[in-house]
Amino acid sequence: MNSLPTLQVLNLSMRFGGIQAIREVSFQVEEGELFALIGPNGAGKSTIFNCVNGLYKPTQGMILFQGEDITGLKSFRIAHKGIARTFQNIALFHHMTVLDNLLLGRNPYLHAGVLGGGFFFGKALREEIESRKDVEEIIDFLEIEGFRKKIVGSLPFGIQRRIELGRALAMKPKLLLLDEPVSGMNAEEREDMARFILDIKEELGTTVVLIDHDMGVVMDIADRIVVLNFGTKIAEGAPKQIAADPGVIQAYLGEERQ
Amino acid sequence: MTSFPETLPGLLASNRQRFAGRTALREKELGVWKEVSWNEYYDHVKYCSLGFLALGLQKGDKVAILGDNCREWLYADLAAQAAGGTAVGVYPTNPPKQVEYVLDHSDSILVVVRDQEQADKVLEVKSRLPELRKIVVMDMKGLRHYRDPDTLSFSELESLGKEKDKASPGLFEELLGRTRPDDVALMVYTSGTTGPPKGAMLTHRNLVSLARGFSQVTEMKSEDQVVSYLPLSHIAERLVSLILALQVGYTVNFAESIDTVQESLYEIAPTVFVAVPRIWEKMHASIQIRMKDASRLKRMAYGIWIPLGRKMVDREIRGEAGSLGWTLLRTLGYWCLYRAILDKLGLLRVRVAISGSAPIAPDILKFYRALGLRISEVYGQTEGSGVSHIHHGNDTRIGSVGKPLPGVVCWLDEDGEILTRSPMVFAGYYKDPSATQAVRGDGWLHSGDVGVLGPEGYLTITDRKKAIIITSGGKNIAPSEIENRLKCSPYINEAVVIGDGRPYLTALIQIEYETVSQWAQDKNISFTTFKSLAQHPEVLELIDKEVQEANKEFSRVEGIKKFLLLDKQLDHDDEELTATLKVRRKSVETKFRDLIDSMYGRR
Repeated sequence: MNSLPTLQVLNLSMRFGGIQAIREVSFQVEEGELFALIGPNGAGKSTIFNCVNGLYKPTQGMILFQGEDITGLKSFRIAHKGIARTFQNIALFHHMTVLDNLLLGRNPYLHAGVLGGGFFFGKALREEIESRKDVEEIIDFLEIEGFRKKIVGSLPFGIQRRIELGRALAMKPKLLLLDEPVSGMNAEEREDMARFILDIKEELGTTVVLIDHDMGVVMDIADRIVVLNFGTKIAEGAPKQIAADPGVIQAYLGEERQ
Repeated sequence: MTSFPETLPGLLASNRQRFAGRTALREKELGVWKEVSWNEYYDHVKYCSLGFLALGLQKGDKVAILGDNCREWLYADLAAQAAGGTAVGVYPTNPPKQVEYVLDHSDSILVVVRDQEQADKVLEVKSRLPELRKIVVMDMKGLRHYRDPDTLSFSELESLGKEKDKASPGLFEELLGRTRPDDVALMVYTSGTTGPPKGAMLTHRNLVSLARGFSQVTEMKSEDQVVSYLPLSHIAERLVSLILALQVGYTVNFAESIDTVQESLYEIAPTVFVAVPRIWEKMHASIQIRMKDASRLKRMAYGIWIPLGRKMVDREIRGEAGSLGWTLLRTLGYWCLYRAILDKLGLLRVRVAISGSAPIAPDILKFYRALGLRISEVYGQTEGSGVSHIHHGNDTRIGSVGKPLPGVVCWLDEDGEILTRSPMVFAGYYKDPSATQAVRGDGWLHSGDVGVLGPEGYLTITDRKKAIIITSGGKNIAPSEIENRLKCSPYINEAVVIGDGRPYLTALIQIEYETVSQWAQDKNISFTTFKSLAQHPEVLELIDKEVQEANKEFSRVEGIKKFLLLDKQLDHDDEELTATLKVRRKSVETKFRDLIDSMYGRR
């Protein structure tokens, strides 16, 4: 067991020109935790993900992954370290099959050279078989057997979300970042997704950070929650505490501050 | 060779001797087909059965099984029987309330569930089931952290059995020898279009006689392949995946999930295929839809060869002699079109095709026959072990359900009701002697269906006795014939004809969402949900055309004067359909009373 927290965000700030997207936000995610970031639209949730994931370089602050400073590293390096994510507006290859999309998630584990890959022998062959086996386990886990050979673009939205999750899982991440995994879904799809997220935590032991503005699902499944509003952290705690927090109620239900 | 008792587990033991290392079952696991030999099949049943004993199962106890088809389903089924118990299949689509009803009514002491989804249903109602002792879960995914003290995994069950085997070797063989042909092997809960489900008790003698009779009149062999996909709690799939498999020794293949059946059919290319009319209709509709998007050449081939094929079938039915020309034409058609279609459906290798559990439209039968696939209709009741009549061999007379199985005597009552007597007639309904008395009190099994006996004992079913519509004009009409004709349309999923005590016939129609939405997209009709699609005036027009087309084939009084489109899909959950997706006519008529009245001008 690693006693270091899986993710530490320290005094993180991000400014886009004149807009302060996040202001000195700090929080810490323990290993095996299901952690949620919530807040109204524009609160800076996705920006934090983009910083953790290396898409943005934060203006100020530090991000530690298992105690190691990863601030400002390139995205692919961060991915190789074991952080996978999904996107708010599904980023899959729409003209490829489900299987191919999932296999792409295995990229960090493929090391065969051009020659081996081209003639498909030795290491390349072994890796490919290994990858397919892992991907099949994910297919089984997410119950998408029926879609293996289907083109992603032709599938219903809820299923595409599941496939994106599958691709992230194919990286066998230590930390999984889920950006609004249930947005735009109907009640049944939402319930399914919530169950998969819980299964990921319990069966695979993966640490999960999820973003959502739908309080319902988050309150049901998260261990701990951080609430953001206009780029600042306004509350942190267990779902029950959060639900009773006057500041949070104000942010969600209170008058619009324009 | 040692002899084994005439029971299903007895057949398993003799198959282990006959076939040993040959493949008995096949299931797709992580995308790869995994095989189970008859030896392994036997061992699994053995350990599972001893595991049940370790959990306290005694002779006559009931074990419920709840979940989609898989290997463990069959292991548990046979294991319960081998231990002297009775297996009770529960439909995986049943909501918790109905699961509770079956578990409670059957006094099940153990329940074997497939996965978390089904386990949750049982856990939800467990506090109200005093008899229930343990829940065995085949796939523990998502459940490991529940730690319900009464829940164990299937592999834990088998380990219990292995321990028991070590402690007292030979116990299982002894148990096998103790099962008697008159023990109740299964209880099948009839989904019943009226009233709560009843548990029909079927004995080993019933089922073994059925297997013998059935295999005599169909050409099945141990090299055959079947795909198991209909719910195993229904007698039809139990017959195919368990009873006949034990008798004949063919291989049973399980699809990964219900969504991959089509794919699995294609991969396995079964040689024996049993389906309900709904599946045959769906495949037929899917071909028609795919034809619309096909290339011109393909559409042309379809346009030429299907009508030609139908013409050939009609000639055959009229008994006109085939000439060399027709044979040549048929062969040409096979290579030009029929073969390709059968291949796409995964039916290319099918030798024995069977349709049962509900009446099928003659038009659908003719379509498949044109492709070269002769579908045998079977007819029977759960109470008669599922099958009493079948088309023998190649003699597939369209419109008739064939002749009695060997051992079955069939008779028509004065009012035309079909009565049968055979070794397959069940032992009675569980805890319901009065209902038992009502259906087989006089020694004959009363089917509740009305039929006509033709020459050579060919039976033709008219309709359910209770469903016969008598219009206020006094005309007797069998609604199912009209409904089936309507359902031939690729755009119509379900039709309920109404008219009992009314001046004319009307129908409630549920559109086939997939095909109609495709049609709407082609026409640039915008819609958001099933409801908005069903309410669109152009859709109404489309269905009207289909209804008029169907009406042409019936006399004026039998025609549908008015119809309405349902703005919701009929559902098992809402109690409009049975678990086998048959319409509960009464429930639908009550639920849509206002709609129906509006078609007769009363509000």
